[in-house]
Amino acid sequence: MYRLALKMLLGDRAKYIMLVGGLTFASLLMTQQCAVFFGLLSWTTSHMRNMRASIWVVDPKVEQINEIKAMRDTDVNRVRSVTGVAYAVPLYAGVIQARIADGSFKPVQLIGLDSATLVGRPPVVLSGRLEDLRLPHTVMVDELAIERLSLRGGRKIGIGDTFEINDREARIIGICKTDRHFFGYPYVFTTYDEAMQFAPKTRKMLSMVLAEPVKGWTAAQTARQIENETHLKAFTEDEFNKSTIKWFFKNTGIPASFGTTIILGFIVGIVVSGQTFYSFVLENLRNLGALKAMGASNWLLARMLMLQALTVGFIGYGIGVGLTVLFGFAVLKTGQPPFLLPYQLPLFTLVVIIFICMFAALLGIRKIYKLEAAVVFRG
Amino acid sequence: MADTNGNKNGFAVHVRNVTKTFGTGEAQVVALKGVDFDARMGELLMIVGPSGCGKTTLLSVIAGTLVFEAGEIDVFDSPLHRLKNREVTEFRKRNVGFIFQQFNLIPTLSILENVSVPLLINGVGRVKAEKKAREVLERMGLAGRENDRPTLLSGGQQQRVAIARALVHDPRLVICDEPTSALDKDTGAKIMELLRDVARHPDRCVIVVTHDNRVFKYADRMTEMEDGRVHKVHENYSQYEQKGNH
Repeated sequence: MYRLALKMLLGDRAKYIMLVGGLTFASLLMTQQCAVFFGLLSWTTSHMRNMRASIWVVDPKVEQINEIKAMRDTDVNRVRSVTGVAYAVPLYAGVIQARIADGSFKPVQLIGLDSATLVGRPPVVLSGRLEDLRLPHTVMVDELAIERLSLRGGRKIGIGDTFEINDREARIIGICKTDRHFFGYPYVFTTYDEAMQFAPKTRKMLSMVLAEPVKGWTAAQTARQIENETHLKAFTEDEFNKSTIKWFFKNTGIPASFGTTIILGFIVGIVVSGQTFYSFVLENLRNLGALKAMGASNWLLARMLMLQALTVGFIGYGIGVGLTVLFGFAVLKTGQPPFLLPYQLPLFTLVVIIFICMFAALLGIRKIYKLEAAVVFRG
Repeated sequence: MADTNGNKNGFAVHVRNVTKTFGTGEAQVVALKGVDFDARMGELLMIVGPSGCGKTTLLSVIAGTLVFEAGEIDVFDSPLHRLKNREVTEFRKRNVGFIFQQFNLIPTLSILENVSVPLLINGVGRVKAEKKAREVLERMGLAGRENDRPTLLSGGQQQRVAIARALVHDPRLVICDEPTSALDKDTGAKIMELLRDVARHPDRCVIVVTHDNRVFKYADRMTEMEDGRVHKVHENYSQYEQKGNH
């Protein structure tokens, strides 16, 4: 009977296409929008992937990594003196204007690394040597900086080329790969000492202290110890991630706007598939009544409807997620819009699509349970 | 229960004082008003009467497709009035074959698949069901058309497919609702001959509801209904004709 149920479904080509189309659209909208949303959220914490550290020590009022309040240089030593800290290094992070060859200005994310250890270094160096950052007036830039700091229509800048930061010459000694930042600024890495020269002078210049726990201590234990002894705020990587994302949820309209689109996808899925499947059942009511008269139980007919609904659901889901993956491949090449597809997301969409299908099937099943087999005798 | 061969008083169907109403309050319509009715084994019984007299309602309650309020119905000694819904469904599955006015063939399935349906509902495997369906279709003169869709057949051919579907699982009671009203005279006559042959079986009973007077002559017995009651029972068509009904 299940085979016949599928033939009945596939035989009604228009309804079948409508059902698959509706569920594809719902699945695509939910998965793709969620992936863009997650991608965007991942951009908000890209600093942490571009300057990796176990413990991030910041001003006590800092809530998220993109809003840093400068501290005193002596705070590095205070952190170093805390029990459980293996080492602690200063880090400068600030947005500064860079001037390119044609005189125009471009904002860049300047990162100053501890000169001795280069802790906070970019994860992937594509060309050049990171150690060359110890040479005077040198910087390592990411691929986005190559795009942004090159003259429009001219050749791409590369190793050996220069540009200006705060009226000082910066010479490129390497190119690295970074995760794109939420604000879209290219990363420019240099040493902390050099960053002090590039950045405009203010009373306090230290952005963060990056620290590691000693063996036998967890990052969380050490972070709490730092907080107790210095009264600065110390985050583990995971804590800073969560705190940053929480801040964006609380203080921006991004989750609401994406949430609206995702809910819209869900509603479209429910309405289109529910309505189409219900009308499919209504149009087949005489046939279903005939099956019922011939002795098909309500439960058998319900299982047939569930099979039909799940079949269109899985096909629609497959196409929708497939299109999302294609979209992902396309945007990952260009770098935008943001896109992150964790394995939990397709699973979530699958559960939602199954829910939609079951809801649609339920509408039909309700009709079948109420259907009197005698309907087939009415003219 | 339903599978016993013994029949109450020798009847295949034994209906006593059955009442069925539709709607409530002022809109209430009493379709069957204490109907008494019998059908024998091996006969083709016709239920005739004007539109709205309760023919189809009586057929529906006998077939177990409609719940009735009062009275007793025994079909092959199965007391439908005492069975639960699930048991009635089980009874229909095994014992009743249906032939409908509009054929009710599923247009998206092939003829072979349509005919296999009752066997599949009865839990017979696909291969076995299709083998049996093929045999019945051959008997109906439809060999070679197994893979066609019902819409490609003429009305008469579609009704023959419906008959094949009604008989494929060897039911003892065949219920026919206006089987010829959608067909021309000659095709209708052929269908009725087929049904009469079907009825010529000591373990089977065919009940036909019709107001198509062209086919009355095929009846072994005729039950005339009027206003929700059995008005007269004629032992054969001649008796019905003699009483000036034709």
